Amino acid sequence: MANSTAIKVTNLTHTVTSNTGNLTILKGINMEIMESESVAIVGSSGSGKSTLLGLLAGLDVNTTGDITLYDQAFSNQNEETRALMRGEYVGFVFQSFHLLPSLQAIENVMLPAELKGDKDARKKAEALLEKVGLSHRLTHYPNQLSGGEQQRVAIARAFASQPKILFADEPTGNLDEENGKLIVELLFDLNKSQGTTLVMVTHDNELAKMCDRQLVMSAGLLTEKTL
Amino acid sequence: MNFAFRLMLRDIRSGDLVTLLMALIISVSTVTSIGLFIDRLQLSFEQESANLLAADRLIRSDDAISNEWKLKAEEVALQQAERTSFSTMMFANDALQLSQVSAVTDAYPLKGSYLVDDTLFGTGFSFDEPPQAGEVWVSSRLASLLSITIGDIVEVGDAEFTVAKYLVRDPGSSTSAFAISPRAVINMADLEATNVIIPGSRVRYSLLLAGDRDELAQYEEWVTPQLNEGQRWRTPTERGERIGDTIGRAESFLLLAGTLAVVMSGVAMALASARFVKRHLMQVAILKTLGATPKLLTRVFVQQLLALFVTGALVGLAVGWGMQEIIASLLSGLMSTSLPEPSVSRLWLGAATGLISMLVFCLPLMLRLIKISPLSVLQPNAKIEQNTLFIYLIGFFGMYGLMCLYTKGILLPTIMTVAIAGIALVVAVIGWVAFRLGRSLTSGATSGWQIGLASLYRRLVPNLFQLLVFTLIIMLGLILVGIKSSLISDWQSQLPEDAPNHYLFNVQSNQIDPINNETDKLNVERSDWYPMVRGRVTVVNDQTVQDLYPDDRGEPELYERELNLTWSDTLGEGNTLVEGDFSAQGLSVEQEAAKEANLGLGDVLTLNIGGNNVTLPITSIRTVDWGSMRPNFYLILPKSVLEDYPANFVSSLFISDADAQPFYKSMSQYPTVSILNVGDLLKQIQTIIGQLSQAIQLVLLCILSAGALVLLASVRSTLEERLEEGALLRVLGARSALVRQALLVEFGALGLFSGLIAALGAEACLYGLQVFVFNADASFHGLLWVLGPAIGVCVISTIGLFASRTVLKVPPMHLLRGL
Ligand SMILES: Nc1ncnc2c1ncn2[C@@H]1O[C@H](COP(=O)(O)OP(=O)(O)OP(=O)(O)O)[C@@H](O)[C@H]1O
Ligand SMILES: [Mg+2]
Repeated sequence: MANSTAIKVTNLTHTVTSNTGNLTILKGINMEIMESESVAIVGSSGSGKSTLLGLLAGLDVNTTGDITLYDQAFSNQNEETRALMRGEYVGFVFQSFHLLPSLQAIENVMLPAELKGDKDARKKAEALLEKVGLSHRLTHYPNQLSGGEQQRVAIARAFASQPKILFADEPTGNLDEENGKLIVELLFDLNKSQGTTLVMVTHDNELAKMCDRQLVMSAGLLTEKTL
Repeated sequence: MNFAFRLMLRDIRSGDLVTLLMALIISVSTVTSIGLFIDRLQLSFEQESANLLAADRLIRSDDAISNEWKLKAEEVALQQAERTSFSTMMFANDALQLSQVSAVTDAYPLKGSYLVDDTLFGTGFSFDEPPQAGEVWVSSRLASLLSITIGDIVEVGDAEFTVAKYLVRDPGSSTSAFAISPRAVINMADLEATNVIIPGSRVRYSLLLAGDRDELAQYEEWVTPQLNEGQRWRTPTERGERIGDTIGRAESFLLLAGTLAVVMSGVAMALASARFVKRHLMQVAILKTLGATPKLLTRVFVQQLLALFVTGALVGLAVGWGMQEIIASLLSGLMSTSLPEPSVSRLWLGAATGLISMLVFCLPLMLRLIKISPLSVLQPNAKIEQNTLFIYLIGFFGMYGLMCLYTKGILLPTIMTVAIAGIALVVAVIGWVAFRLGRSLTSGATSGWQIGLASLYRRLVPNLFQLLVFTLIIMLGLILVGIKSSLISDWQSQLPEDAPNHYLFNVQSNQIDPINNETDKLNVERSDWYPMVRGRVTVVNDQTVQDLYPDDRGEPELYERELNLTWSDTLGEGNTLVEGDFSAQGLSVEQEAAKEANLGLGDVLTLNIGGNNVTLPITSIRTVDWGSMRPNFYLILPKSVLEDYPANFVSSLFISDADAQPFYKSMSQYPTVSILNVGDLLKQIQTIIGQLSQAIQLVLLCILSAGALVLLASVRSTLEERLEEGALLRVLGARSALVRQALLVEFGALGLFSGLIAALGAEACLYGLQVFVFNADASFHGLLWVLGPAIGVCVISTIGLFASRTVLKVPPMHLLRGL
């Protein structure tokens, strides 16, 4: 099924300094994720899932080890390059949606394209919002939308840059069952139709089971869950 | 459209950018209007002074002006005119009279105009040209002495002239006001024919020049090294130093006040930026996850700031220009001449202020945005790296630098800074204690009082900061009220409406009673008569003045020239004893003069009076009210010493315009008495004081609007929290009235405390300013203690409620959904 490696992680560790001293959150992670795969990362709260996701997406710099995205070293680049690579490869969906409150739904979705200087930003954003079923709410502000609607806008925004990898941190965590299902369907739909690699942190076992693979984070180490 | 501008436009709804822009506009327009207005005032002062000089610059010489100088003036394209003045006998109808005659070229006067009349002792109308060849203008005084009228023939030397007009005032008369003495003007073309100027006669030659500042400066540079002892380069400002002083003092006051507006706008800008940054941190982090690079974000924010700056500066400059136009037009009714147009080159100061304010108050905060880690999206409580100390330091030094720039010194800014630091400390301590007390007195949350007082303590740090900001603003307002009333009353008390505007000189003792009769008849206000004898200081403590100051350099005024001396055994009106005993049989010296000559009690001076030497010790030092316009003397001698010298008497009087003609007429019976009219000078001073009070009102307005903006910005900075709380309270069933009451209590208490502390601070600052800066006496300002708390409670409650009105208006559901 998979033809090439999307993400490769070798001997990744991450240590942060807090006021109580050094805290090693990730203690040597090795993994490989193939293109178009869907992967769930599960584990108890505070085990380091979000930290790992942040590092994979280049939001922070790991302490030791290597991360490569499509064979391009990612972990030791400066913020400028990482930001460019994020724009190129990566999309995000968060538990708390993170829409820009001062922008309308359509403007939120236009952002990634605008950042790249795309002239057709509006048209593409309209099409994406239509796909997530919100074509009638284009000019609404985030605080005029329900949680589920906001998350749909966030998904539309995440796919606006046509990312190769989509990271999602508990995308259904703040939603009821019904809305959660809708979101999950959308994510997998787009994963299939656009061949996007999906890396998802979740506490939802049902959701985790829908993924091709499940990885368990525990005490800073990652293990493959075998059924 | 550019991405940065699209983002900014979408952000305008949040209100912070608007506050930022408003603050920028206020600071730019304040500085601009003050700068332009002062410039106009100075130009007007210079022009009016130029009218007194009849030119922009003048070279006075005891010898004829060399041709080379005139050619040079032509070369640098200056306008020029000449005046030659001398004393000579004038004859008419067998009468003869010694008179002061000036011969002038056709271009005279270059500035200002003659005041002439067709009726004897008329008050005059302006006339821009000098007499034609063959004509003479004579003063009414001279005409009555020679019993001539218009059309009669008078002789000057070998030439005959026809009287064409009565001369009321010569624009370039050698005293700053025109002495009503026998005077005449003829055309330069007739001078040679009179043959009155022969080698050895005392003649004063003047070359008058006018042109723009650069040309004049160029000429000055060229000519100054060539001036000999009998030649002087004169500028208009030298002639009105009193007015110059007043303007200088007003200028630093206006700029100081303006600085406060700028500093306050700066605080408003910093508050708005801080709120902008706080609200945008997460947004920027999100943009970063979407692939926005630091470079791109930097460009976005720089472009946004630039756009803000350009808009703010342009609007601010326009508003500033408009404001000073408004004061100028308000003043135009009040003034005899219209103010000259301000120079456009002054605009840079306002623009520079805007730029510096942005760099100092916004940029450091904005840098935070660029630095935020995109990781905060996943870990919202991850520590945001921020260099708070650095930001405060930049802000502090920025403000300090701006204050120094405006006041052109470090004394005032330093006093202000120390005062602000002290106040911050006091505010923190008082506020903490008071808020704590309020908290412990109220438990539970059933009434608005309890909720209000409790929130004071709950939001301790933001409330302490607001308390400080409110206190500072109210304090500044109070200080201005204090300064304004004391400064202006100081100026006005210096120059009461009926300040004497004429001096009578050369009055013999037997003329005193008849003149008193005349003035009584006209009901004219007159000062005492002072006997006057002229004398010169020759020896100081066994050393001659010549030995002390061989080359005249740094010679104090007391030794420099022949002085008017008077005698008295009692201290006259307006004189105050500082040291010593006035009744002792010694010299009484005016304090400033004594200070300049470094003299004190016990020093011994020898005076040469009419050829006799009188040696006396200094036995008292006194101050004199120079502003009273009464005759004042540097040196007063005991009666016993001077009594036997031939003296003439001097007095000062106030003569209204209506009384002038009858008074001059009656005085023509006393041809030897000199009358000096200083009314024009006084009018000029009064006009300027009027202008300045207007300008001060304007500055007050600027400061108040800046203050209101700071209040708004600082209330807004805690708005989110208030909104959430208010919404929660209302969700929990509280009526709007309760929420409003709680807000009222909170803001009212803040206002009351800040008003009280502000009154205390203002009183202390006024003391410092009065004593150390304006050299005046300290006084207690009871009004401040009422005004402070009252304004505090009213204004802050109003602004607080206004800024928080959404808390009460918006449906709670809306607020809980996110802001
Ligand atoms: N910058 C930091 N400074 C200090 N501690 C940190 C930092 N970042 C993460 N941690 C700690 O590391 C641990 C892992 O955090 P992380 O957010 O990755 O957990 P998680 O698995 O996502 O948990 P949850 O399921 O609750 O979201 C936590 O205990 C967290 O407090
Ligand atoms: Mg997490």
